[in-house]
Amino acid sequence: MVMLLLTSLFQWWYGDGFRERIHINSGRLENIIDYFSFSLLLKTLFSPYRQISAGTTQGSLEVKMRAMLDKLFSRVIGMVIRLMILIVGAIVIGVLVTYSLVSIITWAILPILPIVGVILMGTGWTLEWIR
Amino acid sequence: MDKVAFNSHSLRAAKSRLGVLLSNPLILLFNVITIGLLFGSLSVLLLTDMSIGWLLVGFTAIPIMIAEWHRGELKSPRSIEGSVDGLLAGDILGGLGKNPTPKTVVKAVARSHGGIFFANRFGITSGFLDNITTDQPADCEPIWQSALKIREEAGSEFVSGAVLVVAIIDSYSERDSLLAHMKLDRDDLLSGIRWYEHVRILINKSKRPLRTGGIARDFAFGYIPMLKRFGQNLSENTGGMHVELEAHQKALDQLIDSFGSGGSQNAALIGAAGVGKSTIVRAFAERLMDADAKVPANLKFRQVFMLDSSSLISAAPGRGELEGLIMHILGEAQSAKNIIICLDNAQMFFEDAVGSVDLSNVLLPILESDSLRIILTMDEQKFLQIGQRNAGLMNALNRINIAPATREETLTVMQDQLLFTEYKRKVTVMYQALDEAYRLSERYIHELEMPGRAFKLLESAAGYAENGLVTGNSVQQAVEQTVGVKIGVAHGEQERDTLLNLEDLIHKRMINQTRAVQVVSDALRRARAGVRNENRPIGTFLFLGPTGVGKTELAKALGDVYFGGEDRLIRLDMNEYVRSEDVARLIADGADDPNSLTAQAMKQPFSVVLFDEIEKAHPQVLTTLLQLLDEGILRDIKNREVSFRDAIVIATSNAGADRIREYIQRGYKMKDFEKQFTDELISSNQFKPEFLNRFDEIVIFRPLDKKELLQVVDLILVGINKQMALQKISINVADDAKEFLVEKGYDPRLGARPMRRVVQRTVENTVAKQMLGGNVEPGTVIDITLDEVRKILNDDDSSA
Repeated sequence: MVMLLLTSLFQWWYGDGFRERIHINSGRLENIIDYFSFSLLLKTLFSPYRQISAGTTQGSLEVKMRAMLDKLFSRVIGMVIRLMILIVGAIVIGVLVTYSLVSIITWAILPILPIVGVILMGTGWTLEWIR
Repeated sequence: MDKVAFNSHSLRAAKSRLGVLLSNPLILLFNVITIGLLFGSLSVLLLTDMSIGWLLVGFTAIPIMIAEWHRGELKSPRSIEGSVDGLLAGDILGGLGKNPTPKTVVKAVARSHGGIFFANRFGITSGFLDNITTDQPADCEPIWQSALKIREEAGSEFVSGAVLVVAIIDSYSERDSLLAHMKLDRDDLLSGIRWYEHVRILINKSKRPLRTGGIARDFAFGYIPMLKRFGQNLSENTGGMHVELEAHQKALDQLIDSFGSGGSQNAALIGAAGVGKSTIVRAFAERLMDADAKVPANLKFRQVFMLDSSSLISAAPGRGELEGLIMHILGEAQSAKNIIICLDNAQMFFEDAVGSVDLSNVLLPILESDSLRIILTMDEQKFLQIGQRNAGLMNALNRINIAPATREETLTVMQDQLLFTEYKRKVTVMYQALDEAYRLSERYIHELEMPGRAFKLLESAAGYAENGLVTGNSVQQAVEQTVGVKIGVAHGEQERDTLLNLEDLIHKRMINQTRAVQVVSDALRRARAGVRNENRPIGTFLFLGPTGVGKTELAKALGDVYFGGEDRLIRLDMNEYVRSEDVARLIADGADDPNSLTAQAMKQPFSVVLFDEIEKAHPQVLTTLLQLLDEGILRDIKNREVSFRDAIVIATSNAGADRIREYIQRGYKMKDFEKQFTDELISSNQFKPEFLNRFDEIVIFRPLDKKELLQVVDLILVGINKQMALQKISINVADDAKEFLVEKGYDPRLGARPMRRVVQRTVENTVAKQMLGGNVEPGTVIDITLDEVRKILNDDDSSA
């Protein structure tokens, strides 16, 4: 029974457990992407910021030109703010992706860690060089 | 049925046992070991030259793996179809041991979530289950068989603790009587399993992080300071437990279709108060905010703001100001481009009344132009009323009807919503309370529809919890206190005494008419013993007889003795309902006429309803009363069902009084001519047979003889002495004087009524004279003799 349980542990670890680990990490990534509103920011990158000066304007050519410039300014402001958030978001996502990869790789090698430990102990290798 | 195999040596059983063994304290220990090993190994590696540190690092993996395995699989191993051990929930299977008996099953169930759920919600505790189970391993077989069947019926993934509770009860030979004792049936238990599964799903769902668009979601949309000030953002704090009922689901889909397509950009949710219109709007707001929900892109992350008319009116009392404010707010919403406005109780914006104002001129162009998405919620009747006045508005609106919830839907809503009530009020609500809340709210709460009315009652029942438990009894108490009716079986010593001695108590107020007193008393006793038809009034009686024989007095006495006072009498003089139009007055809305029959019954359902001189009512009025007499229901002018099922309905009539007198004078006994007399009433067209047939009993009151009138004099004197007690004076009338009073007061046509006038005039005049003459002091007993009575009455006669 012990052998069966051990086998079952490894089966789960590299089967459902591994899938679950990937799912947890991808879920975390999706949450961060949502938090930084990535798709929304990309879709509305050039939209006027908070609809300031966004309406249509009636009047003389001068008035219309001024409104167009105002709208352009609002769009530029919006784009700058959105780009800044996109950049910060991209950095955070980069860190998270790295963390997720490390987490998944660690998961994969964790069961062989005791054997690695025994081998390394057998080689007599120490971290003397760090000190 | 095939034998059901239980293999305690299966791998799944071993995993479950390991899962139970590695319970929380042990897992905590594993985590401590992990941290210890990690720090220890790193310290050894970094601070010493010993390579054993690598071994320790490697071994750190072992407790981590076990803890992860426990969390991910051992706690709840996957189900395997085909055997009991493959389907039993992990917490149960792990706790069963190798050779389980029904009693060990009960023990495992008691520790499981499902078992605890049933103990709290249904009162089916482990002690209770232990009493109906044996310790014979062979007796597990029927439990397993039953459990597998129930699991399929309830649609559960596992044979959980909840499923096993039902299976144990199912395999008990006296199941039905056992359940009846707890006021449950098997369907209730199945509902309990579904409820348990549903709660588990809700809890898992609430753990899921809600993705709502993120920090830059609203960058492309405008500022809305005024809207934030005057409106309530329903899209904030989403993630609540909104039940999506079948009826609501349809309305939600319609809402999404309306706003998602390029068609008309408004929707009017029409339904009675309490059906869940606001809940639908909240669920709609929540769905739009959910990044994972399937909604059209042009609706995603749109915010729903609810506008409240009273706060707008208080901020801008003048019409012009208010229109300006509304225009400003709607303009803001329009410019922001991500706002859906909800006008809750929208009638407040379309009619001039207290707390409401007619803004049709402002709102109609917006609705017609589709420039802003608007949801309106409105009562059906108000919708029709406004539509009558303003057909343009009616045409501009996309109507979505919301029907009241069914019993099953209402129970589901309550099961979900009560989680908040339980948290707030620190109580646990039992299933029996839900069932009772549905049943009683249907009967006694009129201003709301389902599911709102049942939930409202359940919330008020939380105030009557016993030891933190809201039971069926708590709901009954809530109704008894708030509505003033008596529900269930009489349980107080005093009430039982009153019921058993009802005839004697009534006879303290009225003389003879024993049959009438008895039929009414019997009806009341049947009602309070719970053996009556609950879908009819407690009793319906037609009292026939000459005037002054006690017909009305019996109704009054009943109101006083049992219903808590004469004010518990809803009395209608039917000679005020002689035209067909008077039907409208009978069923008028309480706001317009608080004295209408329906308004009084709504306010006071537990009462005596007296229709005096029923023969004088218009036939249309009598036809209206047929349903009341038959089913205990009358619909008021607003089409609300008003219940008379807790009332005793008494109709009195003088019709055929002369014939009754004639029969009695000819020496007939009442029993002998009752049937014949009723036929005569029908043949003489005084009553229609379908009307007379609606009464439980038709009782003929016979004229009082002189001996009985003497007793009436005594009763009148008791009343007078009660009045005099305030002045510490009492009156004693000599027997021969009483006989003289009967002589003078007796009128065969008017019964005992003139008697009261004669006695009062005589006694009160005597007392008044003696008091004014200074002959009476507190504590005095005034004796009234025949001479005095004779003198007063003769004086009166001669002066007359």
